[in-house]
Amino acid sequence: MSGATAAGSSDARVSLGAFVSGVRIVARRELGAYFDSAIAYVYTIGFVVLANSVFMQEFFLTGTADMTSYFQRMPLLLAIFLPAVTMRLWAEERKQRTIELLLTLPIVPLQAVCGKFVAALLLYALFLAGSLPIVVMLAVLGSPDLGLIAAGYVGLIALGSLLLALGLFLSALSADQIVAFVATAFCAFALVLLGNERVVAVLDGLAPKLAAGTLLAESISVGPPYETFVAGSVELSALVFFGAFTAVFLWLCAHALQHKRA
Amino acid sequence: MIDVDNVTKRYGPTLAVDAVSFHIGAGEIVGFLGPNGAGKSTLLKMISTWLEPDAGSIRIAGHDTRTAALAVRRSLGYLPEHNALYDGMRVDRFLAFVGAARGLSGAALRERMAWCIEGCRLEAVVHKRVHQCSKGYRQRIGVAASLIHDPPVIVLDEPTHGLDPLQVVAFRNFIQGLRKGRAILFSSHILSEVVGISERLLIIQHGRLLADARVADLQQQARERGEDIERVVLEIVRQKAPSREEVRA
Repeated sequence: MSGATAAGSSDARVSLGAFVSGVRIVARRELGAYFDSAIAYVYTIGFVVLANSVFMQEFFLTGTADMTSYFQRMPLLLAIFLPAVTMRLWAEERKQRTIELLLTLPIVPLQAVCGKFVAALLLYALFLAGSLPIVVMLAVLGSPDLGLIAAGYVGLIALGSLLLALGLFLSALSADQIVAFVATAFCAFALVLLGNERVVAVLDGLAPKLAAGTLLAESISVGPPYETFVAGSVELSALVFFGAFTAVFLWLCAHALQHKRA
Repeated sequence: MIDVDNVTKRYGPTLAVDAVSFHIGAGEIVGFLGPNGAGKSTLLKMISTWLEPDAGSIRIAGHDTRTAALAVRRSLGYLPEHNALYDGMRVDRFLAFVGAARGLSGAALRERMAWCIEGCRLEAVVHKRVHQCSKGYRQRIGVAASLIHDPPVIVLDEPTHGLDPLQVVAFRNFIQGLRKGRAILFSSHILSEVVGISERLLIIQHGRLLADARVADLQQQARERGEDIERVVLEIVRQKAPSREEVRA
């Protein structure tokens, strides 16, 4: 329907410095948009209250200076909260028609995509920063394994990056924020739950010869690689898994923006 | 500075722009006239690099829109059709964002912002958020954003939309003050606005360029016939507009 524009044009290759500069400018605008509205405050408070209260409840029951339960519960929480962060990023640009303004500035679509991704990642980092008082509390009350906690946070950043990139991509495909949210949340839950033992068993049971559950859990589920971080190990294979999926979704997002114009 | 060569664009089965060609040089202000749905905005979107032509080529300040889109965008000040702005941003921050994205920084950015704010008369709203501004102000904010980098080529899609008559006169004077060394193309579906601002007229209907005429020549014809310029333009449209069968084909 629409014409692709300058997607593969020769001057679409920009220098690294110019690329980073464009990303920074878009990211700054996006961050400003988060904080100009109530989005950043509402999301941050909601996330911190929910995540921390769930952890504290468990902490009082077990009484151990350990954040493992916090990290274990986070994927399901992120599958709800991060689609809410990304749903507006491109869908709103399409709805408000500002996308034409943005993408006729002298930046390539990947710069705009990365700018929005960086802004969303920084907002997500603010979410996570809200859990730092827990670390301080554990350090005061006991002797937590700080290496284990650090690995958990690396896992959260890796998982969050992947889900944010997925959400950006699906937002670019839709002009409706609700559709973008539902699609991203559905995919995020699928990526998380496909690594769950019970889901794997059910899927394997449906087609024992195919062992689809095991296949999906080992190939695309975020569960197994994320669990390595929660266990305290920062493995290169897990970093590559999250990094590769994040990069692919960002690239797909830029590609969709180049070709989905009217 | 604007070279449109045999450009064609289809939306599915609909032919939006049909083999249109024209050239606009430095120092020219050209009005692009046509009814709603004539293909004006589609052509301007192709000039802006937002859309790519199905056939033909467009060069802006010597750069091809297909192969040098970023160079085209650097040379071009573009006001899109609906003048969509980031509503939540303050006007000064919005202009600073567009200026930064166009490569301006520091004193150069501040200088250009001051020039645009003064030229587009935005002093009263510069610290307000965009959504707090009236339609006329929004339109002027869009024009200011398109001029922030002092582009040699300016393309404005319906720039007077939402302006009151006094604002249209002020806009006309402002645009005419930008003429030196620049190619300016703006669209409208109101003849009096185009005649008032530009010295050359491109008339488009059903995606076809029907006429490329100097306003002075049209006014001369009107005087000779004892008619007004609207009649002369309507006559051109009647004579050259494609038939329904041709449009369907």
